[in-house]
Amino acid sequence: MTLTAFNVVVPAILATKLAFSFSKLSDVVKYDHQLSSPLTSFSQLQEGLYLFDHSIDPYAGGTFRHSPLLLALFSTVLPSSRTFAPFVWVLFDAIGAWALVNIWRARQNVASSARDGVIATLYLANPYLLLPSLALSTSTIENALILLSIMFSCQRKSSAALLALAFGSQLSPLAAFTLPPLLLLLITDPHSHLASPKPLSVSIRKTLPYLAEFFAYFAVLTFCATLVTGDWKWVSQTWGTWLTLLDTTPNPGLWWYFFTEMFDHFRPFFLMAFTVHLATYVVPLCIKFQYDPLFALFLLLGLLGTFKAYPTLSDPGLFLSMLSVFPEIFPYLRHHTVTAILHLHAALLLPLFNHLWLVQGTGNANFFYASTLVFACANGAAVMDCLYAGMRIAIGANSEADGHFVVQE
Amino acid sequence: MVLLPRLYLALIVLGASIPCRAGLSEYFNEKLTLTPLRDGKVASTFSFSTLLKGGSPRDPSQLGEDDESQHYTLFPLGLGQILREYGVAELHLSLNAGKWNYDRWGYPLEPGVGTGAELWAWLGDGGVRSVDDRWKGLRSALAGLFCSSLSRLDEHRTTSPAETFKPEGSLPETSHHQLRHASLPSENVCTENLTPFLKLLPCKGLSGIATLLNPHKLFDANWHGLGVHVLWHKDEGVEVRLTFQGIFDPLRSAYVRKQDWSFESLFARKIEKACPVANSSEILVTLPQTGEYSISPEPTSIRNSMAVYDTKLVQKPLNLAMSWPHDFDHLAASSTREPLTSLSLQRTLRESSQLDGHLTVSLTNHKDTSTDVLYLETMPWIVQFYLHTLVATVEGRVKVDAVSNISYIPAIPHSRPTTFQAVLSIPPNSTLQLTMDVSKAFLRYTEHPPDAQRGWDLPPAIIMPLDDKLNSPRLYTPNILVDLATPDFSMPYNVIIFTCTVISFIFGSIFNLMTRKFVIVQMDPKESK
Repeated sequence: MTLTAFNVVVPAILATKLAFSFSKLSDVVKYDHQLSSPLTSFSQLQEGLYLFDHSIDPYAGGTFRHSPLLLALFSTVLPSSRTFAPFVWVLFDAIGAWALVNIWRARQNVASSARDGVIATLYLANPYLLLPSLALSTSTIENALILLSIMFSCQRKSSAALLALAFGSQLSPLAAFTLPPLLLLLITDPHSHLASPKPLSVSIRKTLPYLAEFFAYFAVLTFCATLVTGDWKWVSQTWGTWLTLLDTTPNPGLWWYFFTEMFDHFRPFFLMAFTVHLATYVVPLCIKFQYDPLFALFLLLGLLGTFKAYPTLSDPGLFLSMLSVFPEIFPYLRHHTVTAILHLHAALLLPLFNHLWLVQGTGNANFFYASTLVFACANGAAVMDCLYAGMRIAIGANSEADGHFVVQE
Repeated sequence: MVLLPRLYLALIVLGASIPCRAGLSEYFNEKLTLTPLRDGKVASTFSFSTLLKGGSPRDPSQLGEDDESQHYTLFPLGLGQILREYGVAELHLSLNAGKWNYDRWGYPLEPGVGTGAELWAWLGDGGVRSVDDRWKGLRSALAGLFCSSLSRLDEHRTTSPAETFKPEGSLPETSHHQLRHASLPSENVCTENLTPFLKLLPCKGLSGIATLLNPHKLFDANWHGLGVHVLWHKDEGVEVRLTFQGIFDPLRSAYVRKQDWSFESLFARKIEKACPVANSSEILVTLPQTGEYSISPEPTSIRNSMAVYDTKLVQKPLNLAMSWPHDFDHLAASSTREPLTSLSLQRTLRESSQLDGHLTVSLTNHKDTSTDVLYLETMPWIVQFYLHTLVATVEGRVKVDAVSNISYIPAIPHSRPTTFQAVLSIPPNSTLQLTMDVSKAFLRYTEHPPDAQRGWDLPPAIIMPLDDKLNSPRLYTPNILVDLATPDFSMPYNVIIFTCTVISFIFGSIFNLMTRKFVIVQMDPKESK
């Protein structure tokens, strides 16, 4: 029964998605900045491909910010027309869902389980992931690559995992922040140890060969990218954008309005502060959850989705869909209703206020900005609650009886 | 022995005369062309040309050294100093207001009729100061000279489309020359620009044709614009041509029924005396080919169906007047007639939101032969092209081979504009429509002008027919207004505070959770009461 559910529901969702891709809906979402940022938009990719095919350097200007690797892939192997591209996106969605199901299986240490279909559905039917995929945002590819690298490291296929992550980091350099927990995952196991915290039993030095392997892949891919374009201009055009935020196109994140309104002489300082802030979470999470690096990785993805520079809906979407892999924390979530309502609130307000400001002209930028704040609160609340539950689990369920309370000292 | 002092004297005189450029002679010619248009309006073109015989542009490699001293009698010193300071080989500045209607007014005598300010110059390469540095200085100097915001023609506006803006004079062969072009469509032309313009003329506005440059009337015209052109002719010298064009409407008042005009009605002035230093001073009036009319006074001569008046010869005060016996037939003038130019242009930006838009350029070829044109867009970075959506259609059908030889320099956000150039071939008697999606940028709040909600003027596209004569006229499309999304200008502090609060709240909560241990405490219910 459950296996048929998996075999029927998943193809059905994929087919529906494909059907939607050819409907009017994909035209409506084509230029929507909440679904695809300037760094992941398909229109920009097509523009870059057009320039590339007409032997104009796409990186000479300032609007094309995709990796040269995507340029190479889409100008040769993958189709780039609006007719055939949806097939590629549905394929990457399927890969992402398959990887997530395999992560779940590896965490439970089973070959297949009754929840496989649910987990795949939670990934494929998550509106935060579905809509960017319909808009043909390349964040779908980035998410699939991150999930693939996690899946391979759960399965102890270190080279495949590191290669997938190196490729993902080429597309979006922030993905490299997930390298430390991924390396820990490679030297430990993906099973749940949240209930029984213990210090890391293996030497951290065992990660060093993997680290070297990652950098080797990364260097080779960087070199390939340079071969594609012929010079190094692409580095500042793609990765540099994450640091300089030249494009302040609205998105559901926190950076764009902050740096639209920022005084020019404070801009470098706050750019530095925001970037460093992102990096501060990596090491503490790895230390705290050294007994369960998969959980650390999950929390880190949630924080990146909340605080990164050019987020789209698909970044928090990846975190929310991954939540399904950790059912053991569900009983300990403190304010799941509040978080859900905040998300509902933000999900309704974001498109509404975006439309009122930019299309109707009846609202101003502050309305949309306010809803991005609500969205950040919703994402932050979800991450904080998961963090609390992941640590609270260790105390046990029956410890709050006879006048005993669990508190933090 | 007696000869010796004389020899000394001769040497002193000779030595003094060399740096004074005393050998250069200067010629001043002025010309006014008046053309009654078929819609009842009157096109007038003033042209004041000063030729510095034997002069040549300054060699850019000598810019670091002291320049030879400049002594002019007719040549404008203020402009001459700027030209020598920045080593300018050729310069064209125009400041216009209004939309030139090619269909009804035909080709203008001075081709630079794009709305707003347009400046382009050819500068020699080499020497201590770079071309861009001198271009910047030139902009600022001209801004000061003409009391205009030309310094805003900065690197956000500067392009180098050398195919469209070919030098009209000759360029010195000693160094390689580069073009710099910039336009500022929101710049206006007004009295404050005309006053310094008049000061550059040898007779100012006191005598000769320049008497007619009455700001009250000129800036009331339907279309008006002034131009400054500096050219170097290899065998002649440096020429400065100051021009003023205007389209006047004698029929503007509802009580006027005839298209009669005179100097008195157009300019509220007469020519009282001729400019004494002018070599030639001519007024040309295009005589209508059909209908009855009268012109007074009697022209000095008739040349190519144009009445020619020499202001030195005719009786003064001169109040040239044309009159028609019958009322002007508005119905006949407004009914559809063949356009006066072989090409009609239209450019629109359709937009449903502040995210993106749809740029459409329509070119209609009225000739019986197919024509090739060079199409140039110099778009500030605030509007970015999606070239992959470029579609050319002829009468509704997609025509792939209509666009060729695309050259494209993409924009750089917060600095360089886009330069897009392509050759379009338009079939005979048909309309070529070019459409393209564009995306609009989101600016930082300090980049918005004070009147941010007004929108941004985009510079005109320039069309140049290729199959005509060698020096084919440039055609300017009307400029368009783009509506960019604006942030709230009143709350930078609030945004900084709100965002930082949310981030620090989440950051604080997470590190609070991670750094503190979970413990079980016993609370005695009795004690707590």
